[in-house]
Amino acid sequence: MAMIDVFYQGEQLGEVQHLALEGSSTFGVLHAAIREKHGIVYETFLFLENGEEVIEELVCIADHARGGNLKVHVHRCRHVEVTVAFNGRVVERHFSPAATVAKIKRWAAEEKFGMTPEEAGEHVLQIAGTHDRPAPGTHVGALTDGRVCGVAFDLVPDERVNGASEAGA
Amino acid sequence: MIGPDQRAFEADIAKAVFRLGVADGRWRLISTAWPFVFLEVAARDGLWHTLRFNCAGYPQVAPTAGPWDMASNAILPFDRWPRGNGGRVTAIFRTNWKSGTALYLPCDRESITGHDNWRTQMPSKIWRPEDGLVQYLELVHELLNSRDYVPPVRTTA
Repeated sequence: MAMIDVFYQGEQLGEVQHLALEGSSTFGVLHAAIREKHGIVYETFLFLENGEEVIEELVCIADHARGGNLKVHVHRCRHVEVTVAFNGRVVERHFSPAATVAKIKRWAAEEKFGMTPEEAGEHVLQIAGTHDRPAPGTHVGALTDGRVCGVAFDLVPDERVNGASEAGA
Repeated sequence: MIGPDQRAFEADIAKAVFRLGVADGRWRLISTAWPFVFLEVAARDGLWHTLRFNCAGYPQVAPTAGPWDMASNAILPFDRWPRGNGGRVTAIFRTNWKSGTALYLPCDRESITGHDNWRTQMPSKIWRPEDGLVQYLELVHELLNSRDYVPPVRTTA
């Protein structure tokens, strides 16, 4: 069976990681390979990107690959408590660590704060107390600090680059 | 023998975060003629827009990039540039900026010059050498997939 390119994120793993495995491998094999590669000794769980539940370890990775690629997340927590603050209101919800920033922004901006998709497109999630605005494909579990299974965001306007003169023309 | 900037660039495009963008169909590398690198970024209408990056001094020096016509090896004619509805795409893909050689982005080497105010007004968009080319590509991809994006007036030569 063909090789699968596995792209994964996880707590304190830094940027996106990659490994390649035979498509016939199970998620249990994948999980063990990730743990070994990063020297992880504590208990962890493996999730599909945006999957709500821990993936069954006996399932074949090819069953969930698309175009020869698979995106997963490894984390010590089953859930991450997410808070999003906007205009003096704070909403909160538990997400899988594999939830993307894009998914969380849609939930907060459109479902909870009632923005239209156009309005939501003008806002971004910023980690509270920082200037960090994680890319839409970042998994929320990659943003936890190794101590608390939680991340606090502010929903902020995405500043437009405006006011340019013609001087550089 | 290649220089340290090209070696750093090649190391960056070998990283998983760049390859994930390729696997997701968000961007792809066309060719390299150092210090120029030609990449395509996908828009929400399925069009791929080619950018020519000048990566001299990478990654400590930010790249500069603009729409490019591979067939004529020249700046893309303005009627083939991505457009906006007056929002953020319009503000970045400015045909009246630097004669079309640079996108009006804070992470662009040419455009940050003279815009020190951007460092405090939009720190998240200032070039980050540790994130490299992917930072620039993420910003462009987000623009081309925003609701402000409008296809070019003309899509072929």
